[in-house]
Amino acid sequence: MTTNAIATLTNAFEGTFTTTDRAADRNVVVVSWPSVPIEIIRASGLRPFFARGSAVATPAADEHLEADIFPSRLRGLVDATLTGRLSHAARIVVPRTSDPDYKCFLYLREFVRLGTAPALPPTLLFDLLQSQGTDVRSYNAARTHALFEELSTIGGHEPSFDDLRHEIVQTNAARAAARRLAAQRRGAPRVAGSEVFPLLGAFWRMAPEDYAALAGKAADEIERRSPLTGPRVLLAGAPVDTPALHAAIESRGAIVVAEVGPWGSGAAGDDVICGDDPITALSEKYRADAIGPRTPANAIRASIASALDQVDAVVVSLPPDDTAFGWDYPALRGLLETRRIPHTCLHGDPYQPLSPSDSERIDALLDAAVARTEVLHG
Amino acid sequence: MADKQLDATIAAAAFQKQWFANLRRRVFDERQPYALLQADVPFELFDLVDVPAVSNQWWAAMVAAKRQAPAYLDAMAADGHHDGLCRYCSLGYASTRYRDVQEPPWGGLPTPRLLCARLTCDCIHRVFSLWAETFGSELIEIDNPGASDLPPRWWELSRYRWRELVEPHRLAFAVATLERLVERLQTISGRRLEQDALRDRIERVNQQEEVFDAVRGLIASAPEAPVRMTEQISNVMATQWVRGSDWALSHARAFHDEVRQRVESGIAACPGERARLMWVGAGLWHDTDFYTAFEASHRAVFVWSMYLAFGPDGYIRYGLDDPMAALASRSASFNEYLHNPPWAAEWIVQQARDHRIDGALVFRPRSMKSAATGRLFIERALEEAGVPVIPIEADVVDPRGWDAAAARAAVRSFLDTRVLS
Repeated sequence: MTTNAIATLTNAFEGTFTTTDRAADRNVVVVSWPSVPIEIIRASGLRPFFARGSAVATPAADEHLEADIFPSRLRGLVDATLTGRLSHAARIVVPRTSDPDYKCFLYLREFVRLGTAPALPPTLLFDLLQSQGTDVRSYNAARTHALFEELSTIGGHEPSFDDLRHEIVQTNAARAAARRLAAQRRGAPRVAGSEVFPLLGAFWRMAPEDYAALAGKAADEIERRSPLTGPRVLLAGAPVDTPALHAAIESRGAIVVAEVGPWGSGAAGDDVICGDDPITALSEKYRADAIGPRTPANAIRASIASALDQVDAVVVSLPPDDTAFGWDYPALRGLLETRRIPHTCLHGDPYQPLSPSDSERIDALLDAAVARTEVLHG
Repeated sequence: MADKQLDATIAAAAFQKQWFANLRRRVFDERQPYALLQADVPFELFDLVDVPAVSNQWWAAMVAAKRQAPAYLDAMAADGHHDGLCRYCSLGYASTRYRDVQEPPWGGLPTPRLLCARLTCDCIHRVFSLWAETFGSELIEIDNPGASDLPPRWWELSRYRWRELVEPHRLAFAVATLERLVERLQTISGRRLEQDALRDRIERVNQQEEVFDAVRGLIASAPEAPVRMTEQISNVMATQWVRGSDWALSHARAFHDEVRQRVESGIAACPGERARLMWVGAGLWHDTDFYTAFEASHRAVFVWSMYLAFGPDGYIRYGLDDPMAALASRSASFNEYLHNPPWAAEWIVQQARDHRIDGALVFRPRSMKSAATGRLFIERALEEAGVPVIPIEADVVDPRGWDAAAARAAVRSFLDTRVLS
């Protein structure tokens, strides 16, 4: 049963958007990055499908998307739109939480105007801002309310704020289950990063009540396991939406115990504290938790610093489309040197096989991490 | 470097050098505040409270033109910044952070009282945070909401119907953020910004851009281009950074008069002109000779860049009952107009038609990823409009990896096979 829970969660994480059931697709909202409130989508009687990258070729998208700018998930999303695979979805929602996402939104709208994508569902921009300006809070609340109103009109169920509060409660239960799973990675980890990353990421891909039940069962099983040994690694830099780097690192005897990004340990975050105004509560939650290139540098820095007590080494992923996280690197390097935590940078696309040079970097890093652990523990 | 053909160009360069020397004197001797800004921040607000402002992009272009970029960029790479990061927006930061590697142009940037940037590309927050930290100066960020309403022929609305260009919620946000900026500037400077003064300044900017509109018309309609693109840029940008000032207006008119005189006298930038070219994208600041390299061999002259054309279409605002809203509407979508669908391609195709363009060189920036978006739409639209396109891959400020001879050979081949054939 618990093995089934792990398998079900993993399958949900790995699932792709298909059009085998067109009636069901009409209730699906395709989202380009996990910074759009699932509570709003679900309260509207709709089902979110969050795009992830893949190693699959995207020839239709490649004709329109410039190289080394758009990450794999956006290339896949555009390819799916241009080839009609999303034609029956209710909406595509693109958050403003990265410049490539915003440009992707503009491209999708242009495909419609030019007739390039004949059957594209309506595309919305969720204009969530992340800076700390005084006017941002009210702006985000208004945009969140606009999203709520827009989606309310299409789901066949016009939701009330009480419906939204109900979804928040349900999703908070799922968040609690995800946090319990993530806790299995702390201290002496009982689960490999490559195994647990999909379980955590499934938070974005399942009904919260299903997720809460399955993640609880998965946590039950993992809690009974023996602790794993090996250097504990933090995966920092540009967020990943695949466990491929985890697997590459762990194939060398290490354990990835945390990563910066919304798909792994950061998927659930804290509960949404609802109060009288669920819209503002959601907009604040997603602004605070949205992790991407527009997340303020000090927030990323704090997130990494809080994880360092639990790790023996850090891998910094800076893929070819990175425009932001590379700026944080010298300061991160300084912090790690102060803490005497070895690190390395990888520059490959996480969806491609590791380059020989990236492989060598990981090998050297793990050697250094083992040596450090031996010194620390005598 | 090609000789300057216009007296106005020489005057513009001299003004900028003197302006910067005055700035350094004010900052060092009189301890006056100044600001470092991204190019799309409303400079008018700073000038009106007597806080002079230096453009990040202008400074980067200056460093690049002085051939000083490689040393700073090498230092930045040695410090761990990877090659894919934007060099145009960060070269100024690098010239501050790694200032020990060489003496910067004109004595270098003094420490600003504040830095200010609109958060357009994803890197801006980080670059300006690091820069402000290096200086120990205050940073004011202006967040940048995304556009959802997309009038393709934006330039037809921008002068009189500018409220239709920006969704009400975006415009209200942009106004609110500019008002916060003004509050801070007033505190720093001890001067008040009066609404009438702002209205008057925007009207003066309108006058300046109307002059540039007339210059653009002269260039578009003259039998042969009367002024090289590089000299257009020198004259326009020297005034844009101090737009609406007495000198800017006076210089814009002098530039116009000189261009008109050349047209009336039948003087061409490249006599015997055979091909009119447009440059789409930011300037190739480390190799501006590239823009005159095809005159002797092919009588091919660069006629158009965004730098002159964007002033009249992007800046003019009539109907100034709420001048802050007019100002906010101008900058709210700068990047979208210049780079992204549907705005950029529609505008550039229209400009190509107006200027009787024979061939377009579309810049593919290596490290400015945000500015690199949309170019495939632009290239396709130009080709469909009958304008042959050659993409030019390079960096705006970084000559490392730029093969000047190969690029020139490729353009010569393009001219032979697609433009003049």
